[in-house]
Amino acid sequence: MRQSGDVEYRRITDVLWELPPHDGMRVPGRIFASDALMDQVRLEHAPDQVANVAHLPGIKEASFAMPDIHWGYGFPIGGVAATAIDEGGVVSPGGVGFDICCGVRLLASNFTEEDFEQQREAIMVSLDQRIPRGLGKGAIAPASLLGEVLERGAVAALDAGYGWQGDLERCEEFGTSAGADSSVISDHAIERGRRQLGSLGSGNHFLEIQVVETVPDPIAARAFGLAEGMLVVMLHCGSRGLGHQTCTDQLRLMGAAMSRYGITVPDRQLACVPVRSPEGETYLKAMAASSNFAWANRHVLAHAVRESFAGAFGISLDETGMRLVYDVAHNLAKIETHEVEGRPAELCVHRKGATRAFGPGHPDLPGDLQPVGQPVLLPGTMGTASWVLRGVADNPAFDSAAHGAGRVMSRKRAKQQESGRAVRERLEAEGISVRPGSVGLLAEEAPYAYKDVDEVADVCVRAGLAAKVARLRPVGVVKG
Amino acid sequence: MLSHTADTGIEATADSPAALIQELATGMFGLIATIGPRTAEQWIAMRVESATLEDLVVDTLSELLYHFEVGDIFFCEFRVDMEPGTLVVTVEAGGVPIHTVEPAGPPIKAVTYHRLTVEERGQVWYARVYFDV
Repeated sequence: MRQSGDVEYRRITDVLWELPPHDGMRVPGRIFASDALMDQVRLEHAPDQVANVAHLPGIKEASFAMPDIHWGYGFPIGGVAATAIDEGGVVSPGGVGFDICCGVRLLASNFTEEDFEQQREAIMVSLDQRIPRGLGKGAIAPASLLGEVLERGAVAALDAGYGWQGDLERCEEFGTSAGADSSVISDHAIERGRRQLGSLGSGNHFLEIQVVETVPDPIAARAFGLAEGMLVVMLHCGSRGLGHQTCTDQLRLMGAAMSRYGITVPDRQLACVPVRSPEGETYLKAMAASSNFAWANRHVLAHAVRESFAGAFGISLDETGMRLVYDVAHNLAKIETHEVEGRPAELCVHRKGATRAFGPGHPDLPGDLQPVGQPVLLPGTMGTASWVLRGVADNPAFDSAAHGAGRVMSRKRAKQQESGRAVRERLEAEGISVRPGSVGLLAEEAPYAYKDVDEVADVCVRAGLAAKVARLRPVGVVKG
Repeated sequence: MLSHTADTGIEATADSPAALIQELATGMFGLIATIGPRTAEQWIAMRVESATLEDLVVDTLSELLYHFEVGDIFFCEFRVDMEPGTLVVTVEAGGVPIHTVEPAGPPIKAVTYHRLTVEERGQVWYARVYFDV
């Protein structure tokens, strides 16, 4: 196990740092960060984890870390690693994370901030009541939907009456992960997911009402359905207990199988097997089924959001204009084709706390997004801002970008700074309504516990990972 | 309690592996909620068998988390026994309804292998475990 401080990264550009391969690393470690962000990153174990990931069999080009990198398990949060499938490249559940297909969904609307002010209390009360979150608080969708959801994702939720047909066009994977097989999901995982379809969860998961404050790229914003002054809603959640149990189950299986393939890794949380192996294929089937739960979970929650707004304003769902801007995952491994050493290669691209960021013209994007690239959603904190970015051409990290602000302070330290009540009062004084799952836990997610999201967005741009489209300012928060 | 940027972990010591698992279970649930001076109102029993002692720690704590989540039980009392010469534990866990407890932190969702340590140090058994929250 490498320890913090064992490895020294050298500056390559003003926003790129590199650790040359050594001691079993197959490729370099590369971190995209400004001086200020790198100073924070060096304080913890994340740089060592970037180096550890570089040991994975079949890894190509580099073990990358996005500007919001922080200490994770096995992989750092913000880690990206692509392995060549034809060269024995591996898949690692640790490169996906426990919350499989955790992601962010952004809804546009026909409302302005002034509209929100008129119905602020009604909206916040309705969301507080409709959005299940926290310990044992149930879910929106019935357990009977679970089997279909595991196979068909958001499509099954749509068929059951949640959401709009047009939503699917604006979901990564169109709301359904291919190759899902619910038969490889354990009974334990099924039981954990049975009462959680349409629930927010806890920790850093949230629902935010935001205002589009500035629009640096009006053309892309128009293509995304965004405009300055528009009220939008951002959701962050994933596959809940079902995904966590699936990761636990698969880590156990892979840990036992690794020796059969002669694989050793510096951290057991990096357990992996060849993509083309029975265990690798089983993991990808289970991951896809868990992803389908996550796509559907956000789909069901978004429907409840639309109902809350329609109810508060006394209008129909259609009249809310709450179209889906995009739904993007930041915990997934995907089979993608990228150019490596001048030739196209089939890769297993792990993004752990990192967002896929396809540039303009990518064939996997729907037609209306082809001219501008894929929306990349970068949630900040409940007291600062969030960003909508877009994918750009010639991304240097297998079409990946940051996934948020990234924590800089432990939960324990954050709670020592201020009480949850004080955090809530300060946010309310700044015009941000807060409905926490637990007031006491609010301090763990206070804005000061995170990096500066504007700095993260700036580094994404300067590093060629993404381009800015719109900055969003929070006016209401429902926390898990 | 161990600090981690995004999540959390604990260290524990005890005079036997079974007692160590009991301490870890108590510590893990102590991160989730506080209940004050109450006694368990309902009990579950389980048996866990693993290939290594490290696995046994992860598997047992994971199984408790499963019952916590699907049973809506917050566990506050534990009786752990290990069959001599084996890596098999039997666990009786007692708890109270989840809606009656006060959260002390976000619910723990998984037990990780990250920096996992379970070893005998002189006369005591030591463990370090990180959790995903």
